[in-house]
This record gives sequence, structure tokens and C-alpha cells, in this order.
Amino acid sequence: MVKGLQIEELLRKNMAELARGTEPPVPSRRTFLQLTGLSAASVTLGIAAPATADATPVRPIPDGAFALGVASGDPRPDGFVLWTRLAPTPLAVDGHGGMPAGEVPVQWEVAEDSRFRNVVRRGLAIASPDLAHAVHPEVRGLRPGREYFYRFRVGTQVSPVGRTKTLPTYGEQFTFATASCQAWYHGYFAAHRDIARRAPDAVFFLGDYIYEYGIVAGDNLWRAGVTVGPEHGVEIETLEQYRLRYSLFKTDPHLQAAHAVAPWFLVWDDHEVQNNYGAANSLYGVPPELFVHRRAVAYRAYYENAPLALDSLPQGPDGRIYRRYDIGSLARVHLLDTRQYRDPLPVDEADRVSEQRTIMGKEQETWLYDGLRGSRAPWNIVAGGVVLSAVTDDRTEQWDGYPANRRRVLEAMGGAGTSVMLTGDIHRHVASELKLDFADLASRTVGVELVCSSVGSNGDGTDTDAYEKDWLQHPYMKLYNARRGYVHSTMTRSELTTEFVNFPYIQADANAQPNVVARFRTPVADPRLEAL
Amino acid sequence: MRRPPAITGLHGAGGIRIVTLDWKPVSWATVVDHYAVYADGALIGKTVYPHFVHRGLDFTGVTRSYSVVTVDAAGNRSAHSSSAAVANLTSVTISGTPVATVGRFDGKGSELALSPKGYAEYPTRFPSDVDYTFGTSTPAADWSYLLPGPADKWAGTKNHRATFRFDLPAVPEQDLDLALWLIDSHASLAASALLTINGTEAGRLTFANGATKGSTIADSTYPGSPLKPSYLERPLPKALFRQGQNTLELFKDQGSWIAYDALGVFARR
Repeated sequence: MVKGLQIEELLRKNMAELARGTEPPVPSRRTFLQLTGLSAASVTLGIAAPATADATPVRPIPDGAFALGVASGDPRPDGFVLWTRLAPTPLAVDGHGGMPAGEVPVQWEVAEDSRFRNVVRRGLAIASPDLAHAVHPEVRGLRPGREYFYRFRVGTQVSPVGRTKTLPTYGEQFTFATASCQAWYHGYFAAHRDIARRAPDAVFFLGDYIYEYGIVAGDNLWRAGVTVGPEHGVEIETLEQYRLRYSLFKTDPHLQAAHAVAPWFLVWDDHEVQNNYGAANSLYGVPPELFVHRRAVAYRAYYENAPLALDSLPQGPDGRIYRRYDIGSLARVHLLDTRQYRDPLPVDEADRVSEQRTIMGKEQETWLYDGLRGSRAPWNIVAGGVVLSAVTDDRTEQWDGYPANRRRVLEAMGGAGTSVMLTGDIHRHVASELKLDFADLASRTVGVELVCSSVGSNGDGTDTDAYEKDWLQHPYMKLYNARRGYVHSTMTRSELTTEFVNFPYIQADANAQPNVVARFRTPVADPRLEAL
Repeated sequence: MRRPPAITGLHGAGGIRIVTLDWKPVSWATVVDHYAVYADGALIGKTVYPHFVHRGLDFTGVTRSYSVVTVDAAGNRSAHSSSAAVANLTSVTISGTPVATVGRFDGKGSELALSPKGYAEYPTRFPSDVDYTFGTSTPAADWSYLLPGPADKWAGTKNHRATFRFDLPAVPEQDLDLALWLIDSHASLAASALLTINGTEAGRLTFANGATKGSTIADSTYPGSPLKPSYLERPLPKALFRQGQNTLELFKDQGSWIAYDALGVFARR
């Protein structure tokens, strides 16, 4: 049996060649198969296609193949990953989107203009039922710091056009939106509508892209005017159910628009698998040796439905999504996974404050500290699922449950460029100054934390609620707001300006107008949250 | 189109109203969508785990032939695994004769005190816990629908006791059987209780985790009820009993609450 890692290496090498769409020595499909000893199924990972592959589907594909939209992600100075998933019947109960069982060639092209007069790259990827007919072509060889447009074609059907950007090599200015927690059934995605309107350079999505709960009218289905079939009414567990749940959420046109407007940086939190799980531990009585099987299908469906590079394809129950990007020399981006490697909830206070405790796992901790230390950029953007700042000791599901790991992170941040921590999870807008030591208010501020509220989760919301006092008791907390929304930031080499945007309602329809509830300036040389 | 491998090592164990199946999963080299589980050739459920509980069976034992089909990420299906013949158990409520009971064995706790959601009143209604005498006490007044445990803040974060008294005309000639049915229990902290008969420890009763819904919902039988009922039955050696009044005691010194369906002592026919 070929090990997963070897498969990845081999594929990466060969597929990179193929994806370039150039002439060089590409082995034929047969040679490639012989070389690697891989099965045909293993080859068809939707990244590229053998040079000999036919671009015409063997059988016609039902209309509406692009019903789940298009997306881009994993931006680099010379390219990005494109994504689509063919699903003419998105809500087919078997999770296969109404696609026939076979492999389907999907053509893609990247242009410098939205009318595709100047196409600069073209390629072919094979959509296979193993990946629910998702494709993840990796485009390289592009110019840094510029806008590109892309589209897919399958048979005679052409996808909507997506807009994306390569990362710059220098980086004068970088705009980004942050969003999280899109419980589709709790409301409409006005936040995504507005993100799409603003067309930032990138979108950070900080987890809870789906929720695993059953969706039941009269219970948790608050999105006005929609109904769902009984197949959506149970907690999801199998791959077909996770796939169907992604399909349901992704039918939202505003989510599709936000995907199509900019490259996304994604991390997961708990609900991509199960509420408050950590590592192999379920809070709902599923023993770890069983729970890993659920994690495996959940991670698989996540990969299938996100514009992620091949190195994020899970192997069994493990999937690596923590990774790093450089926004030129302006900022280094560190995407964290604070679910897969975390220690269990503390059994007592001594356990909670133990030096050994980690929410990141040793390997990822080392990786982060090396990455912070190794960057000369004035900024570090660190994006994770759960809130870093100290709130109360009983919030053990976020970093309050892992104070030793937090101290190590803050010390590493203190020795690097100014940090901008992006998190979500709590369905509230919160702005916090990151203290080197939260127990010592006089300690240095090493950066800021921008916690974005939910896109959908918890419905309309109110400006404040009973939890506000837990947060605003701390002088380093500068904002608390309990309505739905997103955060928009503009980063320059000297300062960061941040807008916390919320909406007066989300349950009735998607038409609520945005409201800037707070605006802050953060000078890079003297990090703080200065209200504007 | 390639068939994924079938699972191996399928085996099962019967319980009251359930059969629990376990097997060896296929290796990670096969990306599994789910395992489809069959009983006597009919699909009874899908699971991603190498484990399945066939629920909703009758109270009378029936042997069934179980098999499992692996469905992979592409939707390909394996051949059926080797089958396993497993019978659910026959309940003592069917096979035995009731000696003393509290509540009806009907999947509902609504006839019990404080049901369906009066748990917050437990400390004032039962300050010295439950002490019930069969024949004189009444379920609606004297037998709390929940037995709290030390993990329950609302019940004082302490151990709790339920005492059940009943008369026997004579020392039984055969062992008796205990039936303790739950409509639900805490989802992760159902834990266990110590069983005592006439002052002699008779073992520990370990409860199945439920859905943490039975503290506010009394009926596990309507379609879509979120409750997770469970059934605990075990023999009680005849030597523990005496003529006249006998005392059975549940001492919840671990975990959180259980929600009763009914409790009873049964004689063998």
C-alpha cells in the first residue's frame, strides 16, 4: 500500500507539471500509473488531467452543473487554487449532486479581464465521484498582486465568472473581510452580500462553515420562507450527509457571490465535525476509536467543498489545514487549526493551568513560533477558530482553557511584527488589545484581536446581551456587539483600519442594510485600538 | 468502477429491544462514505462508525441475520459481509410475573412525580430523597421522574437515593429479576448507581448514555422523539430476599441523572 504522503508528493510533482499546461515531459496516463503504482481512482483528485485526456464528457451532463458556484483560494504570488463542484441537483440525498457516477473532464481558464479576451492560462481537471465531482485545479505562472478572472466549462455548460487575486510581492495595501459561523437555517447571508459588494483582496473564513445539527421547522429553522426535506432534519454523520449539508449551505447565492469575488483563506472550527469536539473526543458519548471515523468523513467533505490545495486533502482521519502565506513583505498570514490537536477539556484548575496543555499541538506550536520569528514583515495575521484573549476562566473551549499555550503564543507574537489575531466562534463582534500578559494590564500590547460575529448563527441578535459584562469588564476589550455581521480591514505598512459591520436583521430576508458599529485604527508601531 | 472491500469480524450482542453490532472497519485506504447495515436482507440503517445499534425491536427475542455493506466515497458498494445471527433478549416484563412495580413499562415517564420537567423542585419535594412503598405510595406523588446524581447542580451536587419497599409473602423459590427502564439519561454522564437489596450490596448498575432530553420531555414513543430510552434488566439472587417487607435501593453516587420509564421486580414463571 502506498502511503498517503508518498501519493501526495508524487501527485504534486506530476500534477504541477500538468497544471502548468506546458509541453514538458509529461508521462502518459498509463506510464504515470505504472510509475506510481496508483489506482486510477487515486489519480483523479480533481487537480489536473493527463495530457491525453479528452475535454468532452462521455455523456452529456445534466443542466445546472454549476449550481454550487465557483471559488478560489490558497493565493500565492504566482497563482491560486480554483474550485467548483458539479451538482446539477445540489440536494440529491446521496450527496453526489445529481451527477452520474463516472469521471467528467472540467475545463478551466484564467484571464486578465472579465470578458476573457486575454486568457493567460487554461487547463483540464478530472471531476470524479470520489470527491463528489469537486475539482481543485492549482494555477501557477501568473503575475503577482493582480486581479484575475476565471471560469469553468463542462460540456457545453459554462460556469459563472469568478474574480480573484494573486498575492503581491511587496504589498502597499491589503484589504480583507473576516467572517464565520454561517448557520444557514438561522438567517440570510446579508454579510456575504456586502462582502461581495466590497470585493476585498481576500476573505478569511474562521470556521463553522456548516453546522451538523438537524434542521427542523418550528425549531431551529429561522430563515423565513424556506422549507427543507426530512433528510436535513437529522444530525449528520455519514459522508453523504456532510456533502448534502455543504450543498444546502452553498446554494445560498450570497455565499456564492462572496466566494466568487476574492480568494478565501479558510480554517475550520468545531461544527465542521461536531459541536465542541476536540482531537478525537466527542462531547456526545462517541468513544474516540469510533469518533475518528466521523472526523474522517467530515474532513473529507470540508476539503471537497473548499478551495484548498492538495496538501489539505485528508488522509484517513487526519487533515492538515494550518498553513502560511506571505502578503509580500507587508504581512505574514498564519492559519491555525485549534481543533484537531487540542488537549481535552481540563478536568480541574490544575489541569487547566498546566504548562503542558496545548490547544495547537506541539508540532503546530513549533511551526507557528518559527513562522513568527522568521518573518521580517511589519504585520502578522494569525487566524484561528476560537478567541485568544482572556475573558473568563470557565470559557475552557477557547484559549481560556489553554492559558499556557496562550502565554507561549503571546510571547512569540511579542518577538515578531505586530499581530492581528482574527477569530470568530462566539457570534459576537469583539475587539480586544492583545496584552503580552493578560494578568498584567501594564504589560505591552503586542497586537489586536478582531473577533467577527456570525454571518447567520443565532439569527437577528441584539446589540447587547447578558454576556457583555464578561467581556467588557476588561480594559483591553474595546467593543462588544451581539448582532450578525462581518469585519472589514484595510492594512497598510503603517496602520490597520478596521470596520465592524452589522445588520439590523437577517431572518426575514437578505436585504438588510449594513451598519458600521465601530471603526478602529491600529498603528503598526504602537498597536492599540483607537476608536475612529 | 471498483468495489470497495467488505468489512470483517461482524459480531453482535442482544439486549432488551436492541442488538448491538460491531465489526472491523476497512482500512483508511478506502475512503468510506458509510456502512449500510442489513437485517434479514433489509436495510436498517447507515453509520460511519464500525458499530451500530439496531433499536426499536420488540420485547420478545427474535434471531436475525445481520450483514454490512461498505459504501465508498464514490458511491461504490461492496459485497455483503459475512453475516452474523444475533437475537435480542426477551424482557422479564414479558417472561416474568410482576411482584412489585412503580410506573408503567410503556416508554413514558408522565405518570411519575414532577414529570415532565419539574426537576428544579426536586430538592423541596424530595428533601430526603425518594422513599416509596409499593401498595401505599403513589407514582404521581412519591416517585420522582428523575433520579439525580452528584453531577447535578440543581439537586445540590450530592449523591441521591431511591428506596423501593415491597412485601413478599415468602422467600422466593427462584431468583427474581429487576427491570429498570429509562426513557432517557444524560448524554455523557449517565454513569452508574449502586444497587442494594435489604442492606446487601447487589452490584453496580451502569446506565446507557441518553440524549439529555428526558428532564423536560416525558414521552420516548412518538415519532421523532429525541429521547434515548434504555433498558436494564438483571437477576436478583433469591438469597437476598425475606418474607415480609423487602427494600431495594438505588444509590446514585456517580454522574448525572437518569429518567425513569418504570421499575419493577419480577418473578420467574
